[in-house]
Amino acid sequence: MNWEGWLLTFGQIVLVLGFSPFLVGLIKKVKAHLQCRQGASMFQPYADLTKLFRKEVVYSETASWIFTVTPYILFSSTLAASLLIPTIFTPLPLNFAGNIVALVYLLALGTFFLILAGMDAGSAFGGMGSSREALIASLTEPALLLSLFAVAMTSGSANLSTIVYKTALLQDIVLDPPPHLMALVALWMVTAAETGRVPVDNPATHLELTMIHEAMILEYSGRYLALVEWAAGMKLMIFLSLVANLFAPWGIATNVSPGALGMGLVVYLGKIMGLAVIIAFLESMLAKLRLFRVTEFLGVAFILSVLAVVFFYILRVE
Amino acid sequence: MSNLQITIGSQLVNLCSVLLLLTCFGIIAQRRLLACVDLFAIQSMFLAVMAALVAYLTDIHHIYVAAVLTIVIKVIILPRILKQVVRRLDVKRELALYVNIPTGLLICGALVILAFFITQPIVHLGFLLTRDSLAIALAIILIGFFIMVSRVKAITQVIGFLVMENGLFLGATAAAYGMPLIVELGIFFDVLVAGLIVGIYANQIQDTFSSVDTSHLKNLKE
Repeated sequence: MNWEGWLLTFGQIVLVLGFSPFLVGLIKKVKAHLQCRQGASMFQPYADLTKLFRKEVVYSETASWIFTVTPYILFSSTLAASLLIPTIFTPLPLNFAGNIVALVYLLALGTFFLILAGMDAGSAFGGMGSSREALIASLTEPALLLSLFAVAMTSGSANLSTIVYKTALLQDIVLDPPPHLMALVALWMVTAAETGRVPVDNPATHLELTMIHEAMILEYSGRYLALVEWAAGMKLMIFLSLVANLFAPWGIATNVSPGALGMGLVVYLGKIMGLAVIIAFLESMLAKLRLFRVTEFLGVAFILSVLAVVFFYILRVE
Repeated sequence: MSNLQITIGSQLVNLCSVLLLLTCFGIIAQRRLLACVDLFAIQSMFLAVMAALVAYLTDIHHIYVAAVLTIVIKVIILPRILKQVVRRLDVKRELALYVNIPTGLLICGALVILAFFITQPIVHLGFLLTRDSLAIALAIILIGFFIMVSRVKAITQVIGFLVMENGLFLGATAAAYGMPLIVELGIFFDVLVAGLIVGIYANQIQDTFSSVDTSHLKNLKE
């Protein structure tokens, strides 16, 4: 890898680490405005993280090593997954390192350990959250994979950077809108489920009985909680980047000239902030689904992604 | 008409037929009856847009008439009748289903694949710009049939029937640029009358059994 490659990889890490708390803050701020409240500052999550890193960690008596390593595994696997996603530049220098399958299972690794940690601490709510998260994760995984495959098929490559590169230049790809459209809707529904958003989960809830993600991390405190929350923010950013750059990559830098990179940065930040605002609007309009209705919601996402793959063939009969 | 226009036009036709299919899945996933009626109206809207596009691309004028009739009858009149029935009967949700919603969705997904495999050998022979929609039309007919079979309430069964009819219209347009105008007119009149009759029929079921659950009709046998 040449020095530009290293620099871009480093820049990507800084961007994901630095910008993800802001996205969380932005969603909270927009939601507060929609509820006619002033709301906390958009930079509040940074202050929260700093505070949490300085606090002492409290362990449960039943906690084993799983409880201690989970935040690190979750944080590092999410960060590794974020390095596979083109944000402001494509193709990424780490393109060779993994494709969409690697991305999905890097994220699943973090989820798996979080589920274990939820049960490890011995609290009743943790186990409940873990069982719910396992249900949701098992339903989102096929839908996520298939919707990514549908997009991959249109460009003939499973590497995210290659897909985004070809789509950005409209080069060697299949331009039928239906598979893209269905994969987009499916991916958006999966995003809501995976990042613990309304209508699947409510990130702002204080009621343990309705929690999913929050229930699993109920026993975490101090720097561990900071890592888990930071990872959740990064996961949100990963999914928003996927939606933005797989389906509308235009504006992304395809060469390393400073002008293209600057333009890529501005367009990218605009796109994901726009998506974050849409999430805030949807969260204000929708109510959380009952847990047993979530299977129907994710069933629709799964069927849409299956159809996206099938339609790639239906519309290509020659 | 230029080649590019035809390519874009046929992609738009495909897009409309896919949206038609997606509204079918919306109806399967939806329990609220009023929302089902709205989805049917939206589906008919897409059908009218598709018909108008085909009419524009092929310069066959009688399809415009069919498109306008679709809007008048299936987007405005029938949904209004169905909504009145729903309000009068005061049934808002389909609670008991023969097949639960995730399974229903999976079955419909399988039906789409089935329709695709059935039409695949025929579609190769076609030369019309709408030929890709044939698989989708068959899928919509099968799903409409599935809605009729799997739902309990009279109103959702009517919606299933109307969805099937939409599928037939799409199929006729896809395979042969629409049926002759006189046949189209006959079908529209039939659909309208069917909607009216079923409205009255649902009221009768409600008065007899105090519910629009069609499974009660089994009690009618001697």
